[in-house]
Amino acid sequence: MPETIKEKLGQASVGIAGLGGLGSTVAAALARTGIGKLVIADFDRVDSSNLNRQQYFTNQIGQPKVDTTIENLRRINPDVKVEGHCERLNADNVPEIFGGVDIIAECFDTAQEKQMLVETVLSRMEGLIIVSASGLAGYGNSNAIETRRVSRRHILVGDGVSGIDSSGVLTAGRVWIAAAHQANAIVEVIVDEIKSDV
Amino acid sequence: MATLKINGVEKEFAGGIPATVAELLGHLGIEAATVVAEIDGEIIERARFSETQLRQGQAIELVRFVPGG
Repeated sequence: MPETIKEKLGQASVGIAGLGGLGSTVAAALARTGIGKLVIADFDRVDSSNLNRQQYFTNQIGQPKVDTTIENLRRINPDVKVEGHCERLNADNVPEIFGGVDIIAECFDTAQEKQMLVETVLSRMEGLIIVSASGLAGYGNSNAIETRRVSRRHILVGDGVSGIDSSGVLTAGRVWIAAAHQANAIVEVIVDEIKSDV
Repeated sequence: MATLKINGVEKEFAGGIPATVAELLGHLGIEAATVVAEIDGEIIERARFSETQLRQGQAIELVRFVPGG
């Protein structure tokens, strides 16, 4: 990797809200890419039903996702600093927890939490760019998942329509495609926009 | 002509444009709790959907979130 890009990524701090299929995969991708610091948050514990698409292992069932993610990221890349928050996110604690990050990934499961996070970041966290996801359930139709710049501070990934409610299933391949779009958009923004003067 | 640009596409309203963001969402059949709305690049908080007046020609981005992650 060219030194300039490596330096920009190494100086960046990324927030990840939610550590399910999207968040655990975005975290792994960014750790492997050499992001300097990740601020991760999720209130939940690893469940056996998560293993079909989330980056956890059978011996981690029952443990907090924040703790297991930190453990897994250390094994991937010990140079990445990871700050974990094991709590449920809301409009009041989001600005505190993610106040210091350069960019944030919305990786929640429910539509209402996705709405809450994006609205909170855009209305209360001046300058912060958010990469959200909507429409990644089901299987097949890989190329329908796209990355779109909704506005200067909002990048949206997904096909926009495939919810777990309508599609009935979440599969590793399709969730990971969306997560990879998110991680890729984050790297692009860090290198070309946020750290463009590094 | 009564038009709004919704997600990049000009949309005509034969009976005049909806008065507020809430009315627009009702017209489109979209549940407010799952939507982030931006008007001319400015975020409109959900709590203000029913008081935020719409004007002819505005560019409105409605991002509808569906569950799954």
